Amino acid sequence: MKKTRLLKNLMLSLLIPCAVLLVLEAMALGKGLRLFANADSWKLFFRAVANVTLTTFALSINLDSGRFDFSLGAVSMLSATVAGTLAQQWNVGPWPMLAIAVAVAALLGLLHGGVYVLTRIPPIIVSLGMALFYEGCAFAFTGGKGVSLVTRLDIIGFSTIGHYILLTAVAVALIVLLFDYTRFGANYRALLSGQKIAVETGIHEIGNALGCYAVSGALMGVVGFISLANTGSQQMALNFGSIGVMFTAFLPMFIGGWIGRYINKRVGIMLGATSMALISLAFARFNTASSVQSIVSALLLVLFLIYLNNEFAILSRFRKKQDAK
Amino acid sequence: MGKQTIRERIPAFASILGLLALIAAYYIVGLIRDANVAYGLKAVVNQSVVVALVATGAVFIYTLGSFDISLGAATGVSALLGAMAYNATGSLPVMFLVCIGVAVAIGFINSSLASVFNLPIFVTTVAMMSVLSAFMLILIGWNGAGDTIKVKARDVRPLDNIPFKVAVLAAYIALCWFVFTLLPTGREAKFIGGNPVCAKLSGIDEKKLAIIASLISAIGIGLGAFLTIVYAPTLNKDTASSIGMDVIIAIVFGGMPVSGGPRSRILSAVVGAFSMGFLSQIMSMLNLGSGYGQMIKAAIFLLVVFIALGSQRGKLLTR
Repeated sequence: MKKTRLLKNLMLSLLIPCAVLLVLEAMALGKGLRLFANADSWKLFFRAVANVTLTTFALSINLDSGRFDFSLGAVSMLSATVAGTLAQQWNVGPWPMLAIAVAVAALLGLLHGGVYVLTRIPPIIVSLGMALFYEGCAFAFTGGKGVSLVTRLDIIGFSTIGHYILLTAVAVALIVLLFDYTRFGANYRALLSGQKIAVETGIHEIGNALGCYAVSGALMGVVGFISLANTGSQQMALNFGSIGVMFTAFLPMFIGGWIGRYINKRVGIMLGATSMALISLAFARFNTASSVQSIVSALLLVLFLIYLNNEFAILSRFRKKQDAK
Repeated sequence: MGKQTIRERIPAFASILGLLALIAAYYIVGLIRDANVAYGLKAVVNQSVVVALVATGAVFIYTLGSFDISLGAATGVSALLGAMAYNATGSLPVMFLVCIGVAVAIGFINSSLASVFNLPIFVTTVAMMSVLSAFMLILIGWNGAGDTIKVKARDVRPLDNIPFKVAVLAAYIALCWFVFTLLPTGREAKFIGGNPVCAKLSGIDEKKLAIIASLISAIGIGLGAFLTIVYAPTLNKDTASSIGMDVIIAIVFGGMPVSGGPRSRILSAVVGAFSMGFLSQIMSMLNLGSGYGQMIKAAIFLLVVFIALGSQRGKLLTR
């Protein structure tokens, strides 16, 4: 009985990524292409999995607790800018640069959390202010020129499939461990389901919130590093130009929430991100215009949300039809 | 109810005091830097009037406790289609009507999607923002004149003056104030924003109000799109792109809670939009550079919101 349920849950968890893969592969075959035609396709796929998984974790950690965060893109940009500049000045390789990016991003997250808990301003408003502040910092730090590492072959050479898989696996393992198997995670879940009761039972909400912001920041540090190591440059953005990063995480977050009914939610998010990475790969293979990509992604998000928010009505109508037959 | 002390009253006026302080700072900095204050003032009005129009309409949406991030993209699409309509007909009234009509259509689609399918409004507007931004690229591509859509500057110059823009803004504020303050719509919107469960149990139709709020807001977007063409008749993919975020900042800067409810005020949007305009102009006069200027802007924004919150901070962290 238990084995059957496990098998059923596993099958349902893999339903969306497998269905997406099958549909896209069929479309590719229809165009006389293969989705995974060469090493570059695999690289693009695993990079997208890493970026989207980490960004979705960073978004959902705080959003699940009702804390919306517009500053994710700015944290990623500023941490990559600082790490890239220091890597140039100190002539260090990719691993120390990654460590710097993660440390800087965690500190930026902590500062954001600190402003939030000290001022008690609604989190969405604080995140707007911090996004503007961090964008300004990055711009001032480089004089608006950004960072270029195109001559640093050791750092650009970091962009390999093996490294992407390693970073994704470590991030998923650490996040599962932290949020599902530690006291911090238990407190986080208690605050999530009943803030007032949790605080009255002695849970330290401020410490937990600061921890969440720091972890969320650290994840965006990895995203910033991956992006900088891949392209070799970091462009600057002002006036909320950095917030677009966050919008890629919505669909995988909702898909992850659905898959999370059958398997660990963080693994569900990774599977949601995998589905999105397949779609990104298909866009690249089909040479889809960026405007069409945006429209298709937005439509998929709306359609999935329509299903999620009307699931009961849709399923009961479906069952009625089956009963009538 | 005891008498409020001055300290207790400060938060209620923090945004207006902030605006007055910024105006004073603008004149002082202008005097010290020997800047052309009158010219700068014109720039403030030109920058602020579009944000003020869009934000004033958006107050209806925010009062309900909703959130719309697609306002900038909606303004951009309305402006592009308005400009294309003008180029096809050579008629300013047609351009005006197309700007308003497109904005109303977008608002209707947005609110209907959210109401009919029970979608979370914020995520719906995130999707809408992507679609509209992409649509702007498609429109510019269709037009076949490079990366821009242009209206001849001399054709719109007669309207590019401060009295006309202020008159448009004043008329729209008067309309919104009338609906928000004197009609049941405003009271019901505040009720829903303050306590949605209680409002629903009292028989208030949330879906109908959401559609009305979107339509009123759409008129502001259409007017903003029209004035965008008048001020900068060469439009591109980035036209009005920052308005969506500027509106949120303006509303909060103006002292309105982003969660909506009974403390919502129509004038918050105008106060906030002009505060931002003066702040940008002060940064520009101080010649601090874009990065430092934005950092200071962010710090002042957070400070004003912090003061405006006053004694509303509870034991639990705000969500």
